[in-house]
Amino acid sequence: MNGTTTIEEFKEAVLDPAKRRHYQLAWLSTVDHKRIGVLYMLTGLVFFIVGGVEALFIRLQLAVPNNHLLHPDTFNKLFTLHGTTMIFLVAMPLLFGFVNYVLPLQIGARDMAFPRLNAFGFWCQPFGGILLHFSILAGGAPAVGWFSYAPLSETPYSSTPGIDYWAIAIFVLGLGTISFAVNTITTVISCRGPGMTMRRLPLFTWMNFINSFLILIALPVLNAGLAMLLIDRQLEGHFFLPFRGGSAVLWQHIFWAFGHPEVYIVVLPAFGMISEMIPVFSRKPIFGYEFVAASTVAIVVLSSLVWGHHMFTVGMGRPMDLFFIITSMLIAIPTGVKVLNWSATMFGGRVRFDVPMLFCIAFLIQFTFAGLTGVSHASAALDWQTKNSYYLVAHFHFVFVGAIVFAMLGALPYWFPKMSGRMMSESLGRWTFWLWVIGFNMTFIIQHVLGLYGMPRRIFTYPDIPGWGWMNMLSTIGVFFMGAGSLVLLWNIAHSFFRGRVAGDNPWNAWTLEWATTSPPPHENFVALPPIHSRRPLWDIANPDRPDPVVGDDQVILPDHNKTGILAFIFSEVGFFGTLILAYLYFYAHPQAGPGPKGLDVPRTLIFSVCLFASSFTFWRSEVALTKQRRGSMLGWLGLTIALGGVFLLGQVNEYWKLFQTGVDLSTNMFSTTFFTLTGFHGLHVLIGLIVLLIFLWLAWEGDFASSRPGSAFKAAGYYWHFVDVVWVFVLLTVYILPLMR
Amino acid sequence: MTTYQFFTTAWTWNSIVLLLSAVAVLGYFFTFGKRGRPLYFVGAVVVFLFALISPFSALANGYLFSAHMVQHILLVLIVPALLVLSLPQSFSLRSPSTHPLIGWIAGVGAMWLWHAPTLCNAAATSRTVSAIQTTSLLIMGTLFWWQLLAPREEQRLSPLAGIIYLFTACTACSVLGIILTFAPVSICPVYQHPVDRLGMLSTIRGDWGLTSDRDQQIGGLLMWVPMCAIYATAILAQLARWHSSPQPEQSNA
Repeated sequence: MNGTTTIEEFKEAVLDPAKRRHYQLAWLSTVDHKRIGVLYMLTGLVFFIVGGVEALFIRLQLAVPNNHLLHPDTFNKLFTLHGTTMIFLVAMPLLFGFVNYVLPLQIGARDMAFPRLNAFGFWCQPFGGILLHFSILAGGAPAVGWFSYAPLSETPYSSTPGIDYWAIAIFVLGLGTISFAVNTITTVISCRGPGMTMRRLPLFTWMNFINSFLILIALPVLNAGLAMLLIDRQLEGHFFLPFRGGSAVLWQHIFWAFGHPEVYIVVLPAFGMISEMIPVFSRKPIFGYEFVAASTVAIVVLSSLVWGHHMFTVGMGRPMDLFFIITSMLIAIPTGVKVLNWSATMFGGRVRFDVPMLFCIAFLIQFTFAGLTGVSHASAALDWQTKNSYYLVAHFHFVFVGAIVFAMLGALPYWFPKMSGRMMSESLGRWTFWLWVIGFNMTFIIQHVLGLYGMPRRIFTYPDIPGWGWMNMLSTIGVFFMGAGSLVLLWNIAHSFFRGRVAGDNPWNAWTLEWATTSPPPHENFVALPPIHSRRPLWDIANPDRPDPVVGDDQVILPDHNKTGILAFIFSEVGFFGTLILAYLYFYAHPQAGPGPKGLDVPRTLIFSVCLFASSFTFWRSEVALTKQRRGSMLGWLGLTIALGGVFLLGQVNEYWKLFQTGVDLSTNMFSTTFFTLTGFHGLHVLIGLIVLLIFLWLAWEGDFASSRPGSAFKAAGYYWHFVDVVWVFVLLTVYILPLMR
Repeated sequence: MTTYQFFTTAWTWNSIVLLLSAVAVLGYFFTFGKRGRPLYFVGAVVVFLFALISPFSALANGYLFSAHMVQHILLVLIVPALLVLSLPQSFSLRSPSTHPLIGWIAGVGAMWLWHAPTLCNAAATSRTVSAIQTTSLLIMGTLFWWQLLAPREEQRLSPLAGIIYLFTACTACSVLGIILTFAPVSICPVYQHPVDRLGMLSTIRGDWGLTSDRDQQIGGLLMWVPMCAIYATAILAQLARWHSSPQPEQSNA
């Protein structure tokens, strides 16, 4: 019946060995976007419990003055793990789970563009999470905060492997996130159903599409920073070690150039959820679709220009402060546009106060408050006073919990019927809602006051200062309300999954495509898509006499998914290499004693570079031969491409070898650290490109391209290969040619 | 010289610039008459004159790198945009220089090329090089904006392609801005030890508090942040154009 699960079926699936094996395999090896979405959310939920328990211990320790429940070091570890877990292992997987499940349905796609990449992206999440928490057993969890400021995070100050586990875990999670973003972009561009033009995308899809670009801008910067940190810790580099010529402030720039966009990376999907729910429960189309959509783009562009407001207390100088103040204040405009549009959507609507809508309303109020305290942080003068106090802790918890968690708590009962076929309990949902509203505000409103009273953050205990005790106690009591609300929520999920009211296809009378299929949807998502001419196709079907105005033309252009995907990936690589090159230039401008760029053998490198550039030409010839179906010629040119790439790599090995022989290695000085890092990562990319080309050579040899198969995958591999060559142009110019011009 | 004296007296009444502007205004009305959009053209001339004869120009002329950057931005982004906007609907250009790649390279190249230390120095000291610079900035800026603001819709990039065009240009200029902001060495050494022609140096360094380090930092930040804000505004304009266009979407991803 209707695809829902009964408790008998579930028992059978768990107890019967044959069925259990079937389900294990079906879930562990799945490439279906709906199952992967659910797996993402379950992972997020597990870590939500982990991170929540960590928070509980933090608050218990801070409940009373002069408390010694936790060792100071344990406290540091707990708040590091809590922050890292909540951002990378709770907020991101939960939001990505919703996106994975809902986005392909909303655009009428059968699956994500690259289902296996999707599975890879998901499995990075539990792997990263386990790596991070394994550090506890492996000799000491990281105890430096989720921002891991250098030089505290460097070996001389943190000698346990905790930071290494932290950095590798975040790197792995970052890879998963980038693959998710590449997939999302490609899915939206290349897999839309008939009539679903870009201008008709539901806002949830649009915002996640735009957000994926922000991921591709921000995450590679962090990955580059993590690579440098690991090189410092494992290979004795000096990127962030001031006493060896490195720069601790550089780490802060890199981290916050990622860290501030990250706030928007997790808040934009939440905005998307709100933009879906408020119209449905107000029984009105969204007010000013174009403004909500365009302000998302404005947020993405601006959010990459504001990271300095995290560093006002570092002492960047007055000009830098001033510019970052202005950009930080500017970003309040597109965000404010959204809040006004959501409010205007509710205005004059027939608002239904179901649980999802209750969470939306709480979101609106709490997020506006978070935005106001955010604007106060944009002012450097005020920021100097409040930066390292509980005022800031309160501010960002209002964003992360008051906005993002509340949006997800609303989105869960909204989309749960689609995922399970059953409604969640309204009464239990209201319990969760009120427990969370009371608990959240009890915990965090008072922290603003505590901060203004001067309580610093990141301290494990505090003396008995008048007023601090009861405020902290109140804050701690709130946690128990949130904990109780979460227990009710877990019970609600489990109970409703088996016993909830059967939902039907479209329980909320919503208008987007995910409600046009059964609940839960069949494996291929849709039997047949309804006609799409506007932004609310299901409204048009339900009200044929007064449909929405037709938006634009019906014609949908779907570029090839292989090429789109590789271009999105290359876009992310630009950020990675850009960061490495900028870091190289930064230290190039502060020359140190010892080996420098003048010692490099430029003519020899130029010869090897010509080989690499020539390989782009030979690849193009091979592509031409493929189009003309001349197998021999194609194999020949491809083989030559690989040979030329190989010669370049050998040249690099030779260069490294000679440097090692003269006693220059990565740890010698800043030049050698940056030189080996930059050229090494480029060499690694050449190596990966060679492996890809060898696979293609093998496939072509086997005759896989002989028939009518289009060469789009081959072309996509070519894009990557050309990109690697273009990167070398920039490396060559900065590392080898620039010093000649001095 | 005090700040007040400076802003009242340091106007560069350059006869060639004034003459050229007058000829341009006459030529515009003579060629297009009422068919054009004269307000944009007058705007372009006013901004052009402001960039070249106001006290900003005197500062840019060897005193302050940041003032030079303001001049640079006005000449490469604001004036050409207004110029292209002032053209009548019937106007059209058919030449290979209107290829999008050329437009992009011209727009971004105008930033990078003229901030190579040698060229930057030369432009700040030699009047001839400065004139060449001004002319080239106007031409390159026009080629850049042509792709987005050409009078005829069919000669413009599609809105989505326009967004990619602008976003990549914004990134390329931000990188240069970041380099200028964080560079510990002077990119344009002329501004480090200005020749004090107007007796303004003590006011600038003292009253205004603009040391040469701080000056270059502001210059870099100007290229990085307000320039990107201009591109971002243009991106929003492209989105508005996309949402209001009735013709089929053209995806250029």
